[in-house]
Amino acid sequence: MAEVRIDCMYETCPIPLLKALKQLEKMNIGDILILETDHSCAVTNIIEWAKKQQYNVDYTELNEGEWEIYIEKVK
Amino acid sequence: MSSSKIEELKKRRQKENKAKSSQIPYAAIFTVVAIVIYGVFLKINLKYSTFWIIGLLIGFTIQRSRFCFTASFRDPILVGNTSVLKAIIIAFIIMTIGFALVQYIFVGDSEIFDIYNIPGQIHPVGIHTAIGAIIFGIGMVISGGCASGTLMRIGEGFILQIVVLVGFIVGTLLGARQYEFWDKLFISKSPTVYIPQYIGLPIAMIGQIVILILLYFFVDWYDRKNNLMMM
Repeated sequence: MAEVRIDCMYETCPIPLLKALKQLEKMNIGDILILETDHSCAVTNIIEWAKKQQYNVDYTELNEGEWEIYIEKVK
Repeated sequence: MSSSKIEELKKRRQKENKAKSSQIPYAAIFTVVAIVIYGVFLKINLKYSTFWIIGLLIGFTIQRSRFCFTASFRDPILVGNTSVLKAIIIAFIIMTIGFALVQYIFVGDSEIFDIYNIPGQIHPVGIHTAIGAIIFGIGMVISGGCASGTLMRIGEGFILQIVVLVGFIVGTLLGARQYEFWDKLFISKSPTVYIPQYIGLPIAMIGQIVILILLYFFVDWYDRKNNLMMM
């Protein structure tokens, strides 16, 4: 199981989602993608998308205004 | 939906990042400043004090609900999600009822419609509307925010949008400066359409609500049907 971290700080929608999509394509099943962002809209945006794709997904606010989104590639 | 792997990772990351700087003091300072500004407006201009409160409430609502006009029109095409678009359609339904009431109070039972003085944004419609909409649509997707979204995110502390704000101000000033030119070229030649003039206010309102409800169901169906950008 690998963890891949991508930096989406200061990126506006929909760049974080597109970056996540490209990265997930390269990853193996079971790997976890960690996406760092400071854009609160990206959090809702990506989580809604990931849920629709039926990926395991969760997020946490590490510092105020800085989130990490975790997406597990399940298929 | 979360899995044990993600839970573990989340706990580990939270442990690594214990030091959280609290922003509550800033919130307290800004609340005090907002109340002081309200007090000043009460003294010098009563109208502004109402606008101030309404503005604060709109800002708060947009921030908490993540209401984003850009996302509402971008996400259906980009990823096939229409949850924000559905929210906008509901807002339109509420607004239709509200504005119908306001305009009914203004117009009353009279048959003559003084369309230039009716409350609301009733403007000439023509080719300039479509061209402007396309330019604005391209711009808002590139910059990641429309006017309200940009202002809300600056307030939230998202630095990138300050660049957008500069462009936004430049564009608004240019627009105000050159408005007369465009007005002569397109706007004054276009007709002003006010549907209640032809079919009456109640029917116009009901018709608009029916169309919006149909749109809502269409958009809901589109969401379930489309799963774009999947792998």
